[in-house]
Amino acid sequence: MSSTGDARPFDLLAPTPEHALLQGTLREFVAREVEPQANEHDRSERFNHALFRRAGELGLLGVTLPEEYGGAGLDAVAAVQVCEALSTSDPGFALSVLAHSILFAHNVSVNGSELQRKHVLPRAASGEWIGGLCMTEPEVGTDVLALRTTAKRDGDVYRITGRKTFITNGGVDEKTLGDCFIVYAATEPERSEGGERARRRASSEPKAISSFLVEKGMPGFSLGQKWKDKAGMRASFTAELVFDDVPVPAENRMGEEGEGTLHMMRNLEIERLTLAAMSLGIAQRSVQVMVDYANDRKAFGKPIREFGQIQRYVAESFAEWRSARTFVYDVARRIDLHGSGQRLDADATKLVATQMAKRAADAAMQVLGGYGYMGEYVVSRLWRDAKLLEIGGGTLEAHHKNISRELARNPSMLRD
Amino acid sequence: MKIMVCIKQVPHQDARLDVNGAGTWIQEENIKFEINPYDQNALEAALQLKDKEAGTEVVVVSIGPERVTQSLRTALGMGADRAVHVKDGAADGSDSLGTAKILAAVAKAESPDLIFAGFMSDDGNLAATGPMLATLLGIPHTTTAVSFQKNGAIQVERELEGGALEVVELNTPCLVTTQTGMNQVRYASLKGIMAAKKKPIDVKTVADLGLAGQVGADAAKIKIEKLYTPPKGQGAEILSGSVDEVVGKLVGKIKELGLL
Repeated sequence: MSSTGDARPFDLLAPTPEHALLQGTLREFVAREVEPQANEHDRSERFNHALFRRAGELGLLGVTLPEEYGGAGLDAVAAVQVCEALSTSDPGFALSVLAHSILFAHNVSVNGSELQRKHVLPRAASGEWIGGLCMTEPEVGTDVLALRTTAKRDGDVYRITGRKTFITNGGVDEKTLGDCFIVYAATEPERSEGGERARRRASSEPKAISSFLVEKGMPGFSLGQKWKDKAGMRASFTAELVFDDVPVPAENRMGEEGEGTLHMMRNLEIERLTLAAMSLGIAQRSVQVMVDYANDRKAFGKPIREFGQIQRYVAESFAEWRSARTFVYDVARRIDLHGSGQRLDADATKLVATQMAKRAADAAMQVLGGYGYMGEYVVSRLWRDAKLLEIGGGTLEAHHKNISRELARNPSMLRD
Repeated sequence: MKIMVCIKQVPHQDARLDVNGAGTWIQEENIKFEINPYDQNALEAALQLKDKEAGTEVVVVSIGPERVTQSLRTALGMGADRAVHVKDGAADGSDSLGTAKILAAVAKAESPDLIFAGFMSDDGNLAATGPMLATLLGIPHTTTAVSFQKNGAIQVERELEGGALEVVELNTPCLVTTQTGMNQVRYASLKGIMAAKKKPIDVKTVADLGLAGQVGADAAKIKIEKLYTPPKGQGAEILSGSVDEVVGKLVGKIKELGLL
């Protein structure tokens, strides 16, 4: 008996046989199960919980999680494949999958204790639980270190108080809270009245931020308002979560007190990269739709693809999509999921891919004209969805700041 | 129970097909391939049986170059237990009988209780390999199965002309060829994909199977002389108007062309 080994030429999009098989599974899953429900869930602004569990059955929620906890133990390339493929059809659903599997589960996998991993990851990988990440607050966005949610030690528990908003997967419907969340909160020890704490706040020094796992059912933890009438990503559930003196067991703290910022940083690369991957999916579909339409639609007696104006939309969109795709997959293959070192490029992929996708969706709408503007055609949905990726998971401006700062600190990046 | 599933890798349904330079087959460079759709249903039927009967082993068999590994890995990812890959240039150009001889040699070594194969392949469309394989093995067979049950014996509903169905019962060992649409083909889960990494693919040559000189292009009784796209006709004329007008014009045309 012998094995054939792998004699495939190098393929950036599917570097191993496992990636190639995953590509096939994703193609089939998207065509058979994701696409038929996409428009309807966008229209009704409902999260498809059954489809989410189905993705769990297929292993798509635990791509990067260790095999011993129900994951596949695969790499950033596989995570990119999943987010890209789902976004060719239903970016809203893809966003829910990303928030759950990357922002939440992968973060626990990297930053959680063995006990926490054992408790959370199998439930997250199967889709039994739906999770999310609580960072943004009503008055705090990009300047996350200014967050106001507090966690005060009280014997065996921390008492968490505050509000988090724009939380993807905050609920599964109007009445049902999501199952488990990573919550970033300030854990400064209380000092005397007008003491150290007040002084630090006044001087805007960084606070000590810690990460906690907060589960549905903990007293005082509830679903606040659901964000309705979002411009796009309407098939994902976005909510405000309220923490009213929630007693969170000390064993639910991830890492040490004050390590929250480190946890955020550790997860940033894969978060930004997978969000960039979503943009690739949006752009791919936009190009497909505009090419099909340009071939079929006739004006002045010939297919509109023969007009230079249309050719420009098609060709520019295609070339930009392919360039961004190569960049994203190249960074993906270099990212070490348990280390760091690709921060600059991860920021750059999201900066370039998100804007590219918005342009491609816009070009598709322009090529389709009036039909593109109508809700029953997929491009108007893609156009609305594409915008979020320039805001969520790091604004364009945050990427500008990070990239400029990093290049100033480390100019050798420009020499190789 | 052991089930053997015969798989052929064929050009993907979305692949662009061009005739090759020699004008005898299609250009196979740089196109996507997939498991023959009929064979996908055959594999699914086997896997459904495996789901129901503990201890069932599913062995997939394919003939072809290195690229066939991808299809075998897909089958392993979907749940097949192991694979046999007949990878030998000496098998190239085999006709249906040559293919059936190779599969028969594998089947003799494996001694399966049941063999599934697609009713035909998406590229050759000959529908001959399955029945030839059963004949070489001296086992009963039935074709174009649209449903399948095993309650002791094998019961198959098979498709006949004109939408009629026939129910056939066979004893094992036997061979069943499957029609598309007989079942919903599963996709490889990530768990399956990761498990497939550890499943063996047994590579064989024609000589390993004792068939040197008996298969391949030289032994083939059927050879493709020429493959070509039919020349375009003179063009069609579309008649418009109400039904009565169109019928009137059509009758006029038929008379005008002296077709009646």
